Amino acid sequence: MSELFEMGIREIQAGLAAKEFSAVEVAQAATDRIEANDFQDGGVNAFLEFTPEMAREAAARIDEQLAAGKTPSEIGPLAGIPMAYKDNMNLLGTRTTCASRMLENYESAYTATCVQRTLDAGAIPLGKLNMDEFAFGSSTETSAFGPTRNPWDLERVPGGSSGGSAAAVAAGFATVTLGSDTGGSIRQPGSFTGTVAVKPTYGVVSRYGIVAFGSSLDQVGPFARSVEDAALALNAISGHDALDCTSQPVDTDFTANLAEGVKGMRIGIVPAFMQAQGLTPEVKDKVAEAAEHMRTMGAELVEVDLPNAQAAMSAYYVLGPCEAFSNLSRFDSVRYGYCEPGHKDLGGQYEASRAKGFGPEARRRIMLGSYLLSAGVYDTYYYPAQQVRTLITQDYTRAYEKCDVILLPSSPRTAFKFGEISDPMSMYLSDMFTVSLNIAGNGGMSVPVGLGVDTNLPIGVQLQSPQFKDENMFRAAAALEQVYGKAPIAPAFARKAGE
Amino acid sequence: MKTMEEVLQDWEAVIGLEIHCELTKLQTKMFCGCKLEFGAEPNTHTCPVCLGMPGALPVPNKGAIENIVLAGLATNCDIEKHTMFYRKGYMYPDMAKNFQTTQGPKAFCMRGWLDLNVDGRGAQERLFWQDLAEGETAENITRTADGYVAHVGITRIHMEEDAGKMVHIGGGEGRITGATHSLVDYNRAGTPLMELVTEPDLRTPEEARLFMQKLRQIFLTLGISDCSMEEGSLRADGNISLRRRGTTEFGTKTEMKNINSFKALHDALAYEICRQAEVLEEGGQIYQETRHWDPSKKHTVVMRVKETADDYRMFPDPDLAPYDLSDEFIERVRGMLPELPDQKAARFAADYGLSAYDARHLVDHRFSADFFEAACAAAGDRAGELAKPLANLTLNDITAYVNANEGIDFATTPLTPERAVQLVSLLAADEISSKQAKEVFAAVLEEDKDPHAIVEERGMKQVSDTGAIEAVINEVLAANPDKVEQYKGGKTGLIGFFVGQCMKAMKGQGNPKLINEMLAKKLG
Repeated sequence: MSELFEMGIREIQAGLAAKEFSAVEVAQAATDRIEANDFQDGGVNAFLEFTPEMAREAAARIDEQLAAGKTPSEIGPLAGIPMAYKDNMNLLGTRTTCASRMLENYESAYTATCVQRTLDAGAIPLGKLNMDEFAFGSSTETSAFGPTRNPWDLERVPGGSSGGSAAAVAAGFATVTLGSDTGGSIRQPGSFTGTVAVKPTYGVVSRYGIVAFGSSLDQVGPFARSVEDAALALNAISGHDALDCTSQPVDTDFTANLAEGVKGMRIGIVPAFMQAQGLTPEVKDKVAEAAEHMRTMGAELVEVDLPNAQAAMSAYYVLGPCEAFSNLSRFDSVRYGYCEPGHKDLGGQYEASRAKGFGPEARRRIMLGSYLLSAGVYDTYYYPAQQVRTLITQDYTRAYEKCDVILLPSSPRTAFKFGEISDPMSMYLSDMFTVSLNIAGNGGMSVPVGLGVDTNLPIGVQLQSPQFKDENMFRAAAALEQVYGKAPIAPAFARKAGE
Repeated sequence: MKTMEEVLQDWEAVIGLEIHCELTKLQTKMFCGCKLEFGAEPNTHTCPVCLGMPGALPVPNKGAIENIVLAGLATNCDIEKHTMFYRKGYMYPDMAKNFQTTQGPKAFCMRGWLDLNVDGRGAQERLFWQDLAEGETAENITRTADGYVAHVGITRIHMEEDAGKMVHIGGGEGRITGATHSLVDYNRAGTPLMELVTEPDLRTPEEARLFMQKLRQIFLTLGISDCSMEEGSLRADGNISLRRRGTTEFGTKTEMKNINSFKALHDALAYEICRQAEVLEEGGQIYQETRHWDPSKKHTVVMRVKETADDYRMFPDPDLAPYDLSDEFIERVRGMLPELPDQKAARFAADYGLSAYDARHLVDHRFSADFFEAACAAAGDRAGELAKPLANLTLNDITAYVNANEGIDFATTPLTPERAVQLVSLLAADEISSKQAKEVFAAVLEEDKDPHAIVEERGMKQVSDTGAIEAVINEVLAANPDKVEQYKGGKTGLIGFFVGQCMKAMKGQGNPKLINEMLAKKLG
C-alpha cells in the first residue's frame, strides 16, 4: 500500500471513504514531512509560511462530515487533499509576501478566488510557498527569504518563479499546489522538478487575489504528480468569477478525455524550436522520443510553423515590465508594506522604502517598465510589442488549423546549480519555449518524461493547446503518462526500497 | 488693474473648461460593489478593490457606462463604440493603486456641442455681437432678438474614477503647507466620474458660467448626478489665455482648478483676464501654471508651476477588456433620454405662446420649469390665457424668492400651483393690483392660505368703481390747487403725485390704471 504522502487525489478519497485513515491523519502525515524536511539548514525551503493549525482544522471539518455519513465526493472534489499555495495568493489568516521584503509582514486582507475554491472543495491548506520575488525570475533565487532547493538535487534550483510550488509536489509535501505562470513560471519549474505543471488558457482561472505581475499574462494553474490530479484541481478552480472580468465561463471537465488516448490526434511539431540555439541534446532527444511514442500510439505528427515566435521574448520583456511597473506602483509604503522611517516628505519616503523593500530584479523590471511607458518611448516599444502579440496569436491560430496540440520543450535544459546563471539576459532565456504562450494567452503544460541522459535530472515536455481547448493537452499528457508513468517523488524524499 | 470691460477692448479671452461630474445616482462605485454615499463615516465604504490591496481587480459598473452614454447623447456627442480603459500613473496617497483608471485617446463620447443663449447683462461681456443683424453668424456666435447664441464644441466626455479625499492636519485652513500629517478618506475613491472637456470656444466668463449652468441642467434632467457644487459632485477647471484682438495664435494658458460655484467660475475667470492683461501689458510673461481661486480675497494664487508636461505613463489597463458598445445598447440608451431643457423651452414657446426669452429662462432651473408646467396644468382650460402671467410669476417672484432662500425646494412651499393660478387670475381680472399681488404672494408663503382668503381677510380688493374713484380725485384736486396750476402750466410729471395721493386716500386699493386714465381726463 502507498504511504499517505504518495497518494493521488482518488486514492486519498477512496481511503477516506473506506475509513482506512482520517483527514486529520492525512494532514498530520503532510505536516510531519514538511517539518522534517523543509525548514532545517539544507532543507528544501519550499514554505514561506507553514499553517499546520489551519490544516488540522480543515481536516477536522472533513472528518466531521465523513462521520456524519457524507462521502468525500459529496464534501467536495478536493476533500482531504493536502494543498499549498504560491505566496502571491491571498489567503486570509496568512501573510502574502510575494517573497519580498516589501510585503514581509503583509497580512492577507481577503482570500483569492482560486484559493477559496480549493478550500470550498475540501482542500487541507498547508501553507504558502516560496517563489521568485513578485514572480520575477526563473530559479526562485530572487526570493528575499532564500532560494528553494530542487528536491532532485539540493544543490540545484527548482526553477521559477513557482519554484516552491514545484518543489513541494516533487518532495511529496503536498498532493497538489497552485502556482502562477506569466512567462513560464509554472511549466519551467514543472520541468525542473519532474512534475505535472499546468498553465491554463488565460481566463480559465480567476486572477482575483493573485498579486499581479503582468495582468494580461498571469494565469494560475496546478502542480501535481499525475495528469488526473492536475485535471481534478483545475476542475475545482476554473470558471467565471464575478470579481475578475477577464475570467471566462469555463465549465470543462478536464478529466473527461484522459482515457481516450492520442489515436487520431494531430501533434504539431515546430522544427525551428527543435533547432533552437541553447536547446540541450538530452532535452531535444526527450521531445523527439515523446513525439515518437505518440506516433506509435496512433497520433499523427505534423510540422507547424510559428514564424513570429522569435520575437516573443522581446515582446514579453516589454509588456511584462510595463504591466509590472504599473502593478507594483501600489507598493508605496503608505498604508502597508515596508516603510523606511525618518522621512519628512512623501517623495523621500517613497524612494527610500521602495529602494530597500524591492530586491534587484524587481527594481530592474520597475525601472524598465517606467522607461518603456514614458512619453516618447512608449510608441517605440509598447505599441510594436502589442503588434507582435497580435502576430503571435495569429501564428497559433494558423498552426492549430493543422494540429490539436503542439509538442515542444518546456525548458532548454535541466535544473541548473545555484548561482550558475547570474546574468539576467541568460536567465531570461530559460523562458524561451514558454513566453510565446503567455503572449497568445493559450494553454500549455509540462509533463515529466523521465531523466536526461547527460544530467540524470528530470525533463518535462511541453504540450500546448488552442485557447479554451485545454482538454486537448490533458488528453495528450495522459497518453504520455501511460508511457512514462506518473511523476515520481524525488528519490531523496521517496520511500526507500523495503521501507 | 483695468476692469475686464477695458481689457476686453484690446484682448480676446480664450476659455476652455474641464468639468468633472460624479455619477451620484448610481448605487455603487465604478469598479467595485462599495456603496456611493456622501458624508458617511470616513473609510466605511471601502473594499480591497477601491483600497488598491494587492491582488484586487476592477469590474466596470455597467450603469456608469449607461449614464455616460446618456450624457453624450444629450450633448450631441458621437458615441465611440470601441474604447479602452487606460491606467494613468501618478503616485499620491489619495489614489490607492497609484494609478487612476480612465480612458485613452478614444472616450465613450467624442465631438459634441452645446448652444448657449446669452442675453441680458451677461451678453454685454462680449463685444461686437450687436453689430450683427438678427440671424447673422460670425465666428461661433449667431445674433438673436435679445442677445446671441454661442456654439461651444465639446471635445470629449470620458469615464474615470474619483480619488480619495485628503485632509491635511496642522496647516492653515486644511492646506498642505505647514501640515504635520494628512488623513485620507477612501469613501470617495472609485466614485464613477465623468470628465467633460470643451473646445477653447468660450470668450467671456459669462459664457463659461452659462455653459456650466446649462450642463448642470442637462445632467440633472438626465438624473445621473445630484450635481452638487458644494459637495463637489460637480466641479470645473477653467483654462484661460489672452491674445490680442485680431490675432489667432493662442497665448499661454493658466488653469484654475476645482472651482465649486458658478459665481466663483465667473469671478475667477474675470480676475484672471485682468491679471493676465496687466502682466502682458507690462511686458511680462504668463507661465503655464495651476492657480487657486480664493473667493474671500477675490484673487488667484499660484498652486503649481508646470515646467514640463506630466508623464502619466498611460497604457491600456490589462485588467479591463476593450469595451464594445453595440448599436442595440446605444439605441436603448437613446430611448431613455428624457425631454431636455432646450426641447422643453421649444415646447413651452409653442404650446403656451410664450416668448423665446421667457421659455428658455423658465427652463434655466428645474424648479421653475416644473412649477410653471404644474401651474398650467392646474389652470386647465385657462392655461392658454394664464400662461403668460404664470410665466411672469415664476420668472420674477418665485425665482427671486428661491434665490433669497438658498436650498429651498419650491415644490414644498405653501404656494401650490393651484394657489398660483388663483393669484394670477385675481390679477388678470383686475381684482387686485400688481402691487397687491406681491403682498398676496408673500402672505401665501407666510400664512399658508389661499390668495382668495388673504384678499378677503385684508379687504384688499381693488376698487374699480368709477364713481368712488371720481369722488377721491375731486377731493385730491381740491386740496392741491397750486399743483393743479403747475400741471396745467406744463409740469405734467405731477400726474404721479396725484395718482399717489389718490392711492393713499384709497388705502392702496384703487385701480391705478383707472385712476391714471380718469386723472388725465380731468386735468386734460
